[in-house]
Amino acid sequence: MESDDDMHDANDLESVDEDFYSDVTGEVSDGGDAECDFEDDLSDESDEIVSRHQQNYTVLNETDIRQRQEEDISRVSAVLSILKIQACLLLRHFNWSVSKVHDEWFADEKNVRKDVGLLEKPVKMANTGEHKCGICFEVYPRNVVSAAACGHPFCSSCWKGYIGTSVSDGPGCLFLRCPDPSCNAAIGQDMINVLGSDEDQEKYAYYLLRSYIEDNRKTKWCPAPGCEFAVDFIFGCGSYDVSCNCSHIFCWNCTEEAHRPVDCGTVAKWILKNSAESENMNWLLANSKPCPRCKRPIEKNQGCMHITCTPPCKFEFCWLCLGPWSKHGERTGGFYACNRYEAAKQEGVYDESERRREIAKNSLERYTHYYERWATNQQSRQKAFADLRSMQSDKLEKLSDIQSQPVSMLRFIIDAMLQVIECRRVLKWTYAYGYYLPEHEHAKRQFFEYLQGEAEAGLERLHQCAEKELQVYLEAEGPIDEFNDFRSKLAGLTSVTRNYFENLVKALEHGLEDVGPNRQPTCTKTSSSTNTADKVKKAVKSRASGNGSRSAPATSSWDSHWMCEQCTFANPNSASACEMCEH
Amino acid sequence: MTSSSAPSRKALSKIACNRLQKELVEWQVSPPAGFKHKITDNLQRWIIEFVGASGTLYAEETYQLQVDFPEHYPMEAPQVVFIPPAPLHPHIYSNGHICLDILYDSWSPAMTVSSICISILSMLSSSTEKQRPADNDRYIKNCRNGRSPKETRWWFHDDKV
Ligand SMILES: [Zn+2]
Ligand SMILES: [Zn+2]
Ligand SMILES: [Zn+2]
Ligand SMILES: [Zn+2]
Ligand SMILES: [Zn+2]
Ligand SMILES: [Zn+2]
Repeated sequence: MESDDDMHDANDLESVDEDFYSDVTGEVSDGGDAECDFEDDLSDESDEIVSRHQQNYTVLNETDIRQRQEEDISRVSAVLSILKIQACLLLRHFNWSVSKVHDEWFADEKNVRKDVGLLEKPVKMANTGEHKCGICFEVYPRNVVSAAACGHPFCSSCWKGYIGTSVSDGPGCLFLRCPDPSCNAAIGQDMINVLGSDEDQEKYAYYLLRSYIEDNRKTKWCPAPGCEFAVDFIFGCGSYDVSCNCSHIFCWNCTEEAHRPVDCGTVAKWILKNSAESENMNWLLANSKPCPRCKRPIEKNQGCMHITCTPPCKFEFCWLCLGPWSKHGERTGGFYACNRYEAAKQEGVYDESERRREIAKNSLERYTHYYERWATNQQSRQKAFADLRSMQSDKLEKLSDIQSQPVSMLRFIIDAMLQVIECRRVLKWTYAYGYYLPEHEHAKRQFFEYLQGEAEAGLERLHQCAEKELQVYLEAEGPIDEFNDFRSKLAGLTSVTRNYFENLVKALEHGLEDVGPNRQPTCTKTSSSTNTADKVKKAVKSRASGNGSRSAPATSSWDSHWMCEQCTFANPNSASACEMCEH
Repeated sequence: MTSSSAPSRKALSKIACNRLQKELVEWQVSPPAGFKHKITDNLQRWIIEFVGASGTLYAEETYQLQVDFPEHYPMEAPQVVFIPPAPLHPHIYSNGHICLDILYDSWSPAMTVSSICISILSMLSSSTEKQRPADNDRYIKNCRNGRSPKETRWWFHDDKV
């Protein structure tokens, strides 16, 4: 693990933007603070970063799916020397596992045939005479009745009704058998296509295609609404994160939106908690807050947290804490950062009654802190998505005209925007991570908040550059000389932020294991910017001092309710089990 | 009485009428042994009386079945219940509802009233003890608003009868 091969990653991190990120690789330790040791900064993790993971999944569109299904059917049909229609029934029966079909078939063909309903010797109906339909009991000439391989005759209108009833019941129609109660002959797609209505044929084909994805252990549909891609996943190595061609990134394991660095269990817990809390409070994160100075409602329409009220007020403030933007520096623990809920609370920065207008429940305050930041990052992420789309659809060409640059030279803007989207996602989940980080692990918490603060600050800076600074060039009359400087700045920020976040994810996934409560302070790497290092030190110290008197969240204090320990849903006293999670 | 709480139904389709008339004729020619169709002019509801098979726990006991046919019979299963008092049986609830797969999930349009009757009789004949299902009280409570057994998600007790 301790190979030096990838150390250049860490070097990159310093060289691209020393001034800004040097504190990440620099040391924070004053030797006098025995409890807190921030020796293990993120660059130490970089040896684990594999430049690009080998992709362990394949995104499939409808054509790919049909083709794979067709190939599997042909293969089984060829190997077992059976009809394709029979191969299809077999595969469906064994959840589309070709190897399972082969194994079972060669182990006990007779039994498999019986289970699946494939007759060895088809029974032919007499070609002449009259046939009585087994459903309507009418007698018909030969050309009106049909039968499966078993030879049980039914008239075409009864077949149509039988198929229609089964198809309208759902995908169970893929297991359709002969209507005769004593017969289990399978009805395959060939018969559906001859005897079913057009609509039923279509539905059957649709179920058959869906089944190939849904009943197969290795494939899943992309969960994005309206997305029709599926993902074939190869178990074994690598993370569960899967990036669909529709640009949705999700966790293949739990199909929630991708959530590194937190694990699937934490996500499930967090989602349950969110629904419990929103039920509890019927509290929706307001999209509008009054301007802290002029009290007019402000609509947050940009992704970053730096808000400027409309003229004449023009007050600049932080969306999260409603504090003046000018104070967002050391006071909140870093550039532009505002995640210092505990510390800020200690320092009395928040006017509690004003800040928590709608939220009166003390017991939920800690959760609310994390949730609000989680949700705000989610919203910013969606906004960034929308921005990306409008950039790709027309702004990029406009910019290319104005700045006389080919669109291909503007790729760095798209890269920056994609990076913002990815970072918002990671940052969002760090709030769920923080929520579940045990209160008593002070050193870990402090280190975590430090890393998170840095990440947030870096992202805000990138976001601001990609959003606001770009505006100048978009609105310009003609080419501006500084555009090339802008390019290197934005590209540099993108790369530095990417590295930082990749390292952050690694560190959190390893549970910040390098931070133990009793580590001896070690220190030494010299920072290129003492200035920044001092800043961090101060910030860390101020947070550390806030620790001792941090108030634990109060337990439930509703008179008529009790709060579930697992999901915090407020249950009426009359309920003996939690109404939300049944705990 | 269950009969008063039967769900309101649409009239039989033409296909259903034809098929039921054929079944009725067939029944008159060769009814299942021990079963008697009480003649009414209502083709959509049959009342059937039968006597438990001799040599079984239900020998000489007489029971009544009420069979209601849906618009799209036989594509859809008929609703079959005992008119209380229902036989004491581990798969028969005191309100007359019967836990038998062919009446629900395993129904096939090639089945007939006659074949249902034979299945019910064989279900009774194979019983080794006269008792109600373990969840009888809970189930009856849930059915109080006149719920049809076809609305129940049946969990078939076992498959030996
Ligand atoms: Zn027919
Ligand atoms: Zn058959
Ligand atoms: Zn997708
Ligand atoms: Zn997951
Ligand atoms: Zn204002
Ligand atoms: Zn703030």
